[in-house]
Amino acid sequence: MSEQKYNPEKGYVALLGWSLNAVEAADKFDRRYVVVAPDWAEAYCEEHDIPYVPWNFERLNDRSVEIAQTLKDMGVDVAIPLFEETVEWAGAINSVLMEKPRLFGQAMLLRDKALMKRRAQLGGIRVGIFEEAHDKGDVIRFLKRVNQTLLKLDGDPNDPIHLKAFDKAGCLGHRVIRTPDEVDTIPEEEFPVLMESHLDGWEFAVEAWIHNGKIAFLNISEYVTLGYSVFVPATPDLEKYRDQIRGEIEKLIKTFDIEFGFIHPEYFVTSDRTMYFGEVAYRPPGFKVFELLERAYGFNAYQGMILAFDPKTTEEEIQTFFPKEVVDAKGYAGCFGVYPRRRVVSKLEIPDETENHEYFESHELTAPLEETVTKRTAFGTHWGLVYFFGEDPYVMRDLLKHQEDLDFYV
Amino acid sequence: MNDRQPGSAAPAVNFEKLVQRLDDAIQSMEESRSFARAGKLPRVLDIARRVLLQPDGCRIIEERSERLEMAGVFAGTDWAEPGILLPTLTTYSLQSQNADTVVIEALSELRLLAVARNSYLHPTVSAEQSHHYLTQVLAINLGLLFGMTGEAEREQGKLALISQAVVQYVAHHIGYEHVIDSLIEEIWRILEQRPIQVWDVRKMITQIALCRADPQADLGSVGRGADRLISSLYGPTRACSEDPGTVVYEQRLETMDAQALQNEATGFARSMHDTGLVSPYHAAFIRFILAGQDTLLSEALGLSSTGRDCLLCYRELVHTLIQEGIYPETAQGIYGLALLLERGILYQPPVAPALWRQARLSLCPHARERLELAYGYQPQPGAWLIQGVLNMLGQPLGVGQGNNPTCQSARALSMWAYNDPDYLLQMVAWAARDNEIVMHFEGQPVSSANSVGGVASEVTLDLDPVSLVVVPHLDRIYVEMGRLCVGREGDPHKWVNPEFHGWSAGRGFAINVEVSTGKLHDLEGFIRHFYASYHPYYNGNQPLIHPQPAGIAVTDSAARFIGWHAITILRAALDPDGEMRIYFFNPNNDSGQNWGDGVKVSTSGCGERFGESSLPFEQFTSRLYIFHYDPLERGEPAEVNEDALRRVIEGVYRSWGQDRLPADALQAEPPATD
Repeated sequence: MSEQKYNPEKGYVALLGWSLNAVEAADKFDRRYVVVAPDWAEAYCEEHDIPYVPWNFERLNDRSVEIAQTLKDMGVDVAIPLFEETVEWAGAINSVLMEKPRLFGQAMLLRDKALMKRRAQLGGIRVGIFEEAHDKGDVIRFLKRVNQTLLKLDGDPNDPIHLKAFDKAGCLGHRVIRTPDEVDTIPEEEFPVLMESHLDGWEFAVEAWIHNGKIAFLNISEYVTLGYSVFVPATPDLEKYRDQIRGEIEKLIKTFDIEFGFIHPEYFVTSDRTMYFGEVAYRPPGFKVFELLERAYGFNAYQGMILAFDPKTTEEEIQTFFPKEVVDAKGYAGCFGVYPRRRVVSKLEIPDETENHEYFESHELTAPLEETVTKRTAFGTHWGLVYFFGEDPYVMRDLLKHQEDLDFYV
Repeated sequence: MNDRQPGSAAPAVNFEKLVQRLDDAIQSMEESRSFARAGKLPRVLDIARRVLLQPDGCRIIEERSERLEMAGVFAGTDWAEPGILLPTLTTYSLQSQNADTVVIEALSELRLLAVARNSYLHPTVSAEQSHHYLTQVLAINLGLLFGMTGEAEREQGKLALISQAVVQYVAHHIGYEHVIDSLIEEIWRILEQRPIQVWDVRKMITQIALCRADPQADLGSVGRGADRLISSLYGPTRACSEDPGTVVYEQRLETMDAQALQNEATGFARSMHDTGLVSPYHAAFIRFILAGQDTLLSEALGLSSTGRDCLLCYRELVHTLIQEGIYPETAQGIYGLALLLERGILYQPPVAPALWRQARLSLCPHARERLELAYGYQPQPGAWLIQGVLNMLGQPLGVGQGNNPTCQSARALSMWAYNDPDYLLQMVAWAARDNEIVMHFEGQPVSSANSVGGVASEVTLDLDPVSLVVVPHLDRIYVEMGRLCVGREGDPHKWVNPEFHGWSAGRGFAINVEVSTGKLHDLEGFIRHFYASYHPYYNGNQPLIHPQPAGIAVTDSAARFIGWHAITILRAALDPDGEMRIYFFNPNNDSGQNWGDGVKVSTSGCGERFGESSLPFEQFTSRLYIFHYDPLERGEPAEVNEDALRRVIEGVYRSWGQDRLPADALQAEPPATD
C-alpha cells in the first residue's frame, strides 16, 4: 500500500521502468511519483495502490509523444530512467516536459556506445582505440591492426580486443577476443558491435549525481575483478585519484552538456596515471551498487536520483541530503557475483568460510534449477549476488577476490 | 557433498555482529512498505538461519519472535495463523531440505515458545495452547530431541542441526525431563475422552516406544508410565507381549488350548477397555476365533450382560460385520463394536437391517477414492467405512472435526449417532453409495450435489472414515441452507439448526447477541430463559430429552474472544460433589480447554461419560450465546437468584462480552479453540 505523503511544493517525477527498490524508495520520499512500466506491472500496482501508467518501452516510434503528453497532462515535471532501455525514452519525454529538444539528442548520444566515444573524443577526453564492426572480417582486421600498432611480431601472443553491443547495459554481450579463431564463435546476430583495444589498467566506475551542472555526490566503485565483484567506497589506492577523477567527470558533464540527473561512467587508469574513458550510462548501475551505497553511507541512492532530477530541488536540499564522500562512510560494502564453477551442479552450498566470515552479510542465491551448467559465452550473467560489509577496504578486496576460488554450487 | 573448499579453514563466527545483522534485517523489513516487504524476507530468513546455527541462536530468535512476526515473516503462509498449525506436519518441515522451510518452522516454534513462556502476548494463541502444541511437537519429533538421526537428517546436511537445536531448545524450556512424562499424561487425557480418531495418539505412543527401544537415547527413569500404552498397541496379552508380528501370533493361536485362548480373550478385552486403543493382534485373534470358537467372542469384546445379550440376538450380523470390517489395520473397530453392542441400539428395529445394508454397501468412486487417499488400499475402502460406522455408533461423543471448520457437520453426525442411529446409517449410505445427500429446508429440497461450496474449501483427510465420506456433503448442505437465509433478519442458525439436525432440535431460538450490531442483547432475559429451559431446579426437574444444539462464544485462557463454536448440550445434572453441571459434546478434537477467567472445561473426574465435556452451570451459561427450546413448552423466565445472575453476567462482561462482537461469522473456526 502506498503510504506516501508528498510535498506539493516539490516536483512530480515519473520512474521509467519497473524496479521495486526504486518504487519503495520513491514511496518513502517526499516527491510525488508515478511508475511508468509495461502492463505486466499493472496488477501489482493496482493491488498495492502504487501510482502507475502503463507503457511498453519498445523502440521509439510515432506514438512516443503520447506518453510524453500523458505525463505532461498529469503535471509530471521530469522522467527518470531506471534501465538502459528507458534512457532514450526519458530523453524524449523530458524534451517535451521541459521544452528542451536538446535533451533528446543528448539521450541518443548516451545510448550508443560508438557515438558516445566520438563525442567524448571531440570533448578532449582520452579514449582507447575503437571502431564499429559490421561483420567478422572487420573484427579480424581490427585485431591485426591493433597488434601491429603494438609492434607485436607474428607468434607473439596478441593483446586482446573487446567487443561490446552498442546499446546494452554493462557486461551484456561483452566478449574478449585474442585470436582470429575466436572470431568464429561470435554469432552473426550480435553484429554490429563496438570494438575496443584492451587497456592494461585498473578499471573502475563512478556514480555521480548532478544538480545544476555541478557534481552533488561522487562515488568511486572499485572493481576487484570485472564482472565478478565491486565495492564502495574504493581503497585509498584508488581514492588518491579522486581529484583527478572529479576533473574527468566535470569534463564529461561539459562535453555531454548534462545539467541534472545521474551518470555512471567507467574508466581505466593506467600505471602512468592516465585516465581513459570507457563508457557512460545515464541510469543506475547494475550489480546493486545503489544498495551498497546505502549500506556504506546510509542514504538512499534512488532518492538521491529523484532529488538530482527534480527541477524544483534547491541547493540546500542537495547539501543536506548527500553525505561527505568517503569520510562519512560507516564501512565498506561489497558484493560478489556467483557463477557456478562446475559443469554439473546439484545444490547450493555457501562455503563455510564465506558464511562464517565476519564481513559476510547475506546472499540472494537460489537453488539450481538445472543440473548442467550452460557454458558461458561472453561475460554471461551471474547466478546471484553475495553481499559483504566490513571496516577494512583491503580485507574486503582480498575477500572478494578469494570468492572466485570457491564453489557455491556443488 | 562434503567436498572441502580450498583456502583457509572457516573462521569463527562473530556472533555479536551476526545478531546485529539480524536486527538490521528485521528493521529493514519493518520499515519496508508492505508492497516491498516480500523482497526483504530472504535476507531475514538467511541471517536467521545462520543465527540458528550458532550455540545461542535459538535464544536470540526467541527474544525477537514478536518483532519477527510483526515484521511479517509469516505473512501469507499457514504459519501466520498459529491456531491452525498441526503438530504432525512439523516433522516434514523440520526435515525439509529447503532451508527456508526449516527456518520458518523454527521461527514459528520459537515464537510459540515465547508465547508459552508469557514473554509474547499473541493476539490469536494463548500460552496454554502454545504449550500444548509444543508438547505435541516434541512428542512427534522425539527422534530429533534425542539426537537419533536418520537418512532424512543426513540428506539435510547442516539444516538438520537447526531442527535439532530448536527441538532441544524448546524441550529444555518446556521441561526437558518432563516432556515424555507429560506426554504420557497428555495421551491419557486424550484417551479418556475416547476419540474415534486415534491416529495421532498411536503415533505418539509409537515414538515413545521407539525412543525407549533405542539404546542411544538416554531416558533415565522417564517414560516408565508408558508401559500400558505401548502394550495396548504392541503386545496386550501374554502370547504377543514381545510384539512378534501377526503372522507368528496366528501360528501360536493354532497350538493354544482352550484355557490359553480364554486368557488371551480376557487380556485383549481388559487392555481395550482400559485405554480405548485396540491392538492389531486383537483383530487377528477375533478373526481366528470366529471360525469355530466364537463362544469366546463375548469374552474378547469384554461385554457385560447387556452386550452379550445383544450379541446373541444378532450373532449373524455381528459375524458379518467382523468378516467384512475387522482386520489388523481396522482393529480400532472392535472397540466400536463392543460399545455398540453395549448401547443396545440393535434392538431399535431399523438399525440391524441398516447395518446389513452397510456390510454390503457398494461405494461410489468418489467415496472410494477419499477413503483410499486417507487410509490406503489395504483393506478395501468398504472395510474402513464399516470400521468407521462401528466406531461412530459405539462412540457417538468421540467424533472430531479434524482440521476443518466444520464443527456443525461433526456435531450433526455425533447427534445422530447418539440419538437417531438409523438416520445416520441412511446418511452414510447416501453419501457413500450415491454421492448425494438431499435434505429439506422449509420444504425445499437441498442437494449436496448441486451446492456450490461448503464452509471448508476442502475437507481434509484427518478424519474418521464416516466423517471423511459424509462431511463434505453435510458441509455443502449446511452452507446452502445458510444461503437460503440470506436477507432474513437475525441469526441464520435460528432456521438452519432445526432443519439441519432434525426434528428433535427445538424450534425455539434464543440468542443474546444483536446480529446487526454485534452487541449484547437482553442478557438477563436470555439467562433466565436458559435456566427455565435447562436447569433442573427451575424447569420442574425435567431431564433434557433430546440433545440440543447450542452456540458457544469460545474464549482463550486469557478470556479473550476467539470465535463462535457449535456444541451439543447433552444433559444437566449434579456432579459427584453436588454441583449442577452442564454436560456437553464439543466436536473439537480435544475438548479439555481453558476458556479463561477460571472457566476450565473438564473432561473427566466430574461425572463425565466418555467424550463428554462439562462445566458448572453458571460458568457454562457465561459462554453461551445461542440455545434452542421447545416454543410450546416455554415457561416463565426463571426466578434466578440475583447473585447467580450477577455472577453469570459479570462472567460474560469479563470475557467475550468485553468489546463489540462481530456476529456475522456463520460458523466457528475450530482449531482456534483447540
